Amino acid sequence: MDVRKLVQQNVEMDMTPMIDCVFLLMIFFVLVIDLSQKNLEDLILPRAVYQEPDDTPPENRPIINVLQNGSVVFEKQVAYDPAVHGKNFAPIKQLLLDIRQQGLNTGRLKLKEEDIGGRMVPLIDDPILIRADKWTEWHYIGEIMKQCSQPEIAFWKVELAMSEQDKETGEKNPRLTK
Amino acid sequence: MSALDDAQEEVKPDMTPMIDVVFLMIIFFICIDFKVLESKLSAYLPKDKGSQSSVVEPQEQLSVKIYVESAGTPEYAAGGSAGAVNPNTGRPFRFKLRDHRVKWEVGPKPLYNLDDVLKELKRIAADPSSQVPDKATGGKKLMACVIEAYPGTYYEDVAKTTDACAEAGFTEVNYGGGLGAK
Repeated sequence: MDVRKLVQQNVEMDMTPMIDCVFLLMIFFVLVIDLSQKNLEDLILPRAVYQEPDDTPPENRPIINVLQNGSVVFEKQVAYDPAVHGKNFAPIKQLLLDIRQQGLNTGRLKLKEEDIGGRMVPLIDDPILIRADKWTEWHYIGEIMKQCSQPEIAFWKVELAMSEQDKETGEKNPRLTK
Repeated sequence: MSALDDAQEEVKPDMTPMIDVVFLMIIFFICIDFKVLESKLSAYLPKDKGSQSSVVEPQEQLSVKIYVESAGTPEYAAGGSAGAVNPNTGRPFRFKLRDHRVKWEVGPKPLYNLDDVLKELKRIAADPSSQVPDKATGGKKLMACVIEAYPGTYYEDVAKTTDACAEAGFTEVNYGGGLGAK
């Protein structure tokens, strides 16, 4: 065996560890970077036992986040800040009107005509999710719900986000501890 | 080399795939733990608001009021204070509320802890007089309950009360609004 052949044999690379690392990185990023979470603020939701699982959320569902200080955040933008707007809740109404208009324009939200008291009334047939921190004063959430029920907004399917586990106390629902 | 030596060499297991699989499982379980499962409570609003000119027929509902007994003290994480913004998140610092207490009024009865609220709700749910006519089926159904959260109450208080209503068997839970800030 001459020297050239010996050198050629030694340069063969073992690809297995590199492929392993690539797979590990892929799995890590798939699990960590969940694009559906981009509208979610880092909040601690209240724990509720009697709730519906939200395992397969509708893609078109608008998500409104309410921070502890009452700030209303939609797609990372603060729409209402109590320190700035005080009791002027017009920005919340405007936000809901914008969500409605944009949703209808893009076809993400659907209108449904319903017979209410003998009149056909157009209502948004898709849900809207309100996510609030457990230590958010209720009246901020109540205000959003009040605005949602206005006839020009008509989001009647309001959902309140809960958690199966309280991240503050560590308490879990019985079905998670089984 | 004898046949015995050959056999001894062949039984050496290759540990690499097993270690790979173990690492994959570790990463998978670490990441799963970070994702706290979220759920939802449907709080469907009346569809007829502002759409009818006629007077709406009043419905018999059980009133569950929540009042603040002790507002509680916010406890901020290290470096945080009221109104300060966390430079890492761009959001205000989070706080935990200590010694926050509420009291309830289920119907006319004042109650001071959630267990008593649950007992009272169960008693009312089991009472035949709590059955109201169901327009949809023509039969009877358990009356709805309306949670009225007074100024200074938090989402946590309302969520726990809603949970108690659901546990007692109330399927229709409404939320009274317009009670304003503290």
